[in-house]
Amino acid sequence: MNLSDSKKKLALAGVICGLVAACLAFLGNPANMAFCIACFIRDTAGALGMHQAEVVQYARPEIIGLVLGAFIISVGTKEYRSTGGSSPMIRFVLGMIIVIGSLVFLGCPLRMIIRMSAGDLNAWVALIGFILGVATGVFALKKGFSLGRAHAVNKMGGTMLPAIMVGILILALCSSVLKASETGPGSMHAPLIASLVGGLVFGAVAQKSRMCFAGSIRDVILMKNFDLFSVIAGLFVVMLVFNLATGRFVVGFDTPGIIAHSNHLWNILGMYTVGFAATLAGGCPLRQLILAGQGSSDSAVTVMGMFVGAALCHTLGLAASGTAMNAETQEIVAGAVPPHGKVACIVCIIVCFVIAFTNKRDEAK
Amino acid sequence: MRKKELKLVVTFHTTADAMAMEKACKEHQAPGRIIPVPRAISAGCGLAWCAALEDREQIVSMMRMTGIEEEEMHECMV
Repeated sequence: MNLSDSKKKLALAGVICGLVAACLAFLGNPANMAFCIACFIRDTAGALGMHQAEVVQYARPEIIGLVLGAFIISVGTKEYRSTGGSSPMIRFVLGMIIVIGSLVFLGCPLRMIIRMSAGDLNAWVALIGFILGVATGVFALKKGFSLGRAHAVNKMGGTMLPAIMVGILILALCSSVLKASETGPGSMHAPLIASLVGGLVFGAVAQKSRMCFAGSIRDVILMKNFDLFSVIAGLFVVMLVFNLATGRFVVGFDTPGIIAHSNHLWNILGMYTVGFAATLAGGCPLRQLILAGQGSSDSAVTVMGMFVGAALCHTLGLAASGTAMNAETQEIVAGAVPPHGKVACIVCIIVCFVIAFTNKRDEAK
Repeated sequence: MRKKELKLVVTFHTTADAMAMEKACKEHQAPGRIIPVPRAISAGCGLAWCAALEDREQIVSMMRMTGIEEEEMHECMV
């Protein structure tokens, strides 16, 4: 079945991905983090010992499944292309920036949509920043921004990230070498097989539909084209129905237990950073994993940057904390962005501007 | 709903090339519009230039004049 030849079918692709996310939330993934690329990369980096934050360490099978799902379906449908060579180090830095911005907000664009569908008003505030970030990236594109073209490379080059993911899966299944949280978000997860299957389905559908959160806003701004937006709308509607049906829809800002904070400025700036960097890198965190799965070494390098950025967030204390209930006093403790995180976010935005306006198409220089 | 027609679709190596194409076409009053790359011809999520089949010659000569290099030229339903 062709999932991409009409807006209705694209929306159906979003519905399928929404159902996967809803099932995983139902089976044990953290509340409103049903499927978050930045959080899951952060958890996987923790499982590999790249950071020592004990509450966020777990090799998320969803990440493995996403890459392998995209890899398998792209090979099966002859869309696999091993490419690379488009400013890899700049993409590595953009990957770091995407995750730092995400962890200042506490979620990638996918989780922003999931949080929006659960009534979290902080995510609606962050959407403003995300749209402005993508719009800034579009402005740079119009001014001639380019990281240069990718070239065909050795066929094996594109298989490296899928192979690394298989390696992590084998370690998770056959050894106890990976770290795993006993408390906190890292300890909350669906059964491994459900997460893996969910990731594979999500990855395959996302590859066929070209699902991309930054791309959807970019296409609306640039061309008033709503094809990609319809995928996101389908996912939002399913998650909204799921949250309403299971009593998880709570409208508010300071809602304990949903791993979010109400620092409006930093919610906006965090997602501004993500939108801007993702537009420059050619795709949101989810899209980077999918492109890496279908053979792009450039996106694989971006994913590596995301792993390192996630590790830095927890070794340098950049990640925000969520609003929580104090178990003893029953008082709500507001979540916040630490000072280091605020500085890092500003630095990331400056770096994005430097990258955006110093890398130009040859004829535009 | 708009009926799909067989069109000329020009894809590019980079998004910047597609943006340059849009600018050049405006300047030289060449026909067409920018569209997302149709899923049937590429697994990428970039941009393409779409014009009527009969405009092919004009588009090609304008691209040669302005030094814009295409990745591929397709004829497909858009």
